[in-house]
Amino acid sequence: MSDEQRLVYVCEGGDCTERGSGDIHDKLKEQALAVDPDEEKVRVRRYPCFGGCECGINVTVYPDKLFYSHVKEEDLPDVVKHVLGEGPAVDRLTGAVEPDIEEMAWMMLDSPY
Amino acid sequence: MSTVDLEAKIPNNVGLRDNKRLLRALEKWQPAFLEWWKDMGPTDFNQNDIYLRTAVGVGKGGWAHFDYVKMPDYRWGIFLADAHEGRKIHFGDQIGSPIWNEVPGEMRNRLRRLIVTQGDTEPASVEQQRLLGHTAPSLYDLRSLFQVNVEEGRHLWAMVYLLHTFFGADGRDEAEEMLQRHSGDPDTPRILEAFNKPIETWVDFFCFTTFTDRDGKYQLAALAESSFDPLARTTQFMLTEEAYHMQTGENGVGRILHRTAELAKEGTDPRSVGAIPFDMMQRYINEWMSASMDLFGGEDSTNAAESFASGLKGRYREGDGIYKDPTALQHSYDVDVPEDGKLVKKSIPLRRAMNALLLDAYHQDCTRIASRWNRDLDRLGVDFRVKLPTQRFNRNQGLYADGYFTPEGEMVSKEEWERRRGEWLPSQEDRDYVRSCMKAVYEPGKFANWIAPPAQGVNDQPVDFEYVKFH
Repeated sequence: MSDEQRLVYVCEGGDCTERGSGDIHDKLKEQALAVDPDEEKVRVRRYPCFGGCECGINVTVYPDKLFYSHVKEEDLPDVVKHVLGEGPAVDRLTGAVEPDIEEMAWMMLDSPY
Repeated sequence: MSTVDLEAKIPNNVGLRDNKRLLRALEKWQPAFLEWWKDMGPTDFNQNDIYLRTAVGVGKGGWAHFDYVKMPDYRWGIFLADAHEGRKIHFGDQIGSPIWNEVPGEMRNRLRRLIVTQGDTEPASVEQQRLLGHTAPSLYDLRSLFQVNVEEGRHLWAMVYLLHTFFGADGRDEAEEMLQRHSGDPDTPRILEAFNKPIETWVDFFCFTTFTDRDGKYQLAALAESSFDPLARTTQFMLTEEAYHMQTGENGVGRILHRTAELAKEGTDPRSVGAIPFDMMQRYINEWMSASMDLFGGEDSTNAAESFASGLKGRYREGDGIYKDPTALQHSYDVDVPEDGKLVKKSIPLRRAMNALLLDAYHQDCTRIASRWNRDLDRLGVDFRVKLPTQRFNRNQGLYADGYFTPEGEMVSKEEWERRRGEWLPSQEDRDYVRSCMKAVYEPGKFANWIAPPAQGVNDQPVDFEYVKFH
């Protein structure tokens, strides 16, 4: 992954799926691909579970290390603008999960290898 | 998107209707599978109607259908995730080359061994759990057990499809043998040791689905990166079903801890009311997690290196591009190795450390789960916290197999380990006590006293839904 490229994970754990994370993933991916069809700037993927189940739907943005929670469809335009480098981070969606949950997500993504 | 044939004798999205030779071979294997299910699957519940999820496709959302089914009538099908056009090999020595839709000759034996080893675990776990229905703590849990069982049966079908399709007579023989080996059979045991011990209680079952099925998740995730596309697509879809199994375990252990915490808040000794004390749960967690870590194999492994180099098995989420070096040739992995009574830091070439990397990802995942359990305990106002054992504790495989370590990873003498073993692992007394708590509760909405009800029912049904109808 290049330093400029963002990796966005949408949680598809049990609770997030119940809240509609499948649709959020599809719509986020569709909106990102409409602007960035070859995924040069951002790749949107599903992730099994981050453990922030009570704050779902959860979406992470790497390498920014932003953990967006309670994401709804109406938030997606702002999220897409941010991950495509056309807008600021969506601060209203951050800070909901426990710090240790965020840290565990970054541990995997910060692989030294 | 692939076409799903649900009307066929064997539901599938692999075009079985057009491949008569394969269809005949699988239809010949099907009665043997059903015989195995009746002989070695869940005892005494085959005539009951179970509210089960059945896979009916691989598309986004709506991939499964819920209804009452008698388990022998479950539609075990063959489903592969949809192919990605133009997919290239994304790790190892052949990076950038087209993926394989046939087995390269030089990979044949290694691939077959990987598929057989994975496939052997699927029926093994059904055999291990076959008596549990008689002591289910609720109808909700009884249904969960059978859901896990039928889906492990479907995963066997997935592996058998690969063997029949790509490995000729050898593959057909291997598929037969998967039904002839049996968990715990002294003459024809299952391949991996963790799959040869019976799962006698629901505490074991929930620990197994939390920790051992989670090893399965990581093995499947590594195979889902495979350059052999049919294997990658098969395992990608298996992961969808496997998620429910792990959730069953995670929620099950969490519900046991929750119930014990409720009793602690009331000042009730859990032993006095047939519930499971915290320290006993901790010992079961230590045992199952350490046994499951053995399934990852040696931390320093030339076999793992070869599987990575040849493109058969990738790292966890390799395809997401989170690793800096997809060839894994430029880095080494630091690990503490026991030598002459102390731990010495050593570097091993990264490719040889593939099992260790996968185990690290597993351990992080388990840490997330323990944090979730502990947050619930915190909310309930009890002091107990689950502590997961380190990767050195109670190992029979890999670098730490010959040493003695506390759950925290401190090296100790054999004598100290033996003396303190009862602090860390379940004793016979623990097992007898847990067994004594296991009494069936079959009334809808009622739960055994050692486990809290779940937060919600299955597929939007209420918790007191009649998940199993007895006849």
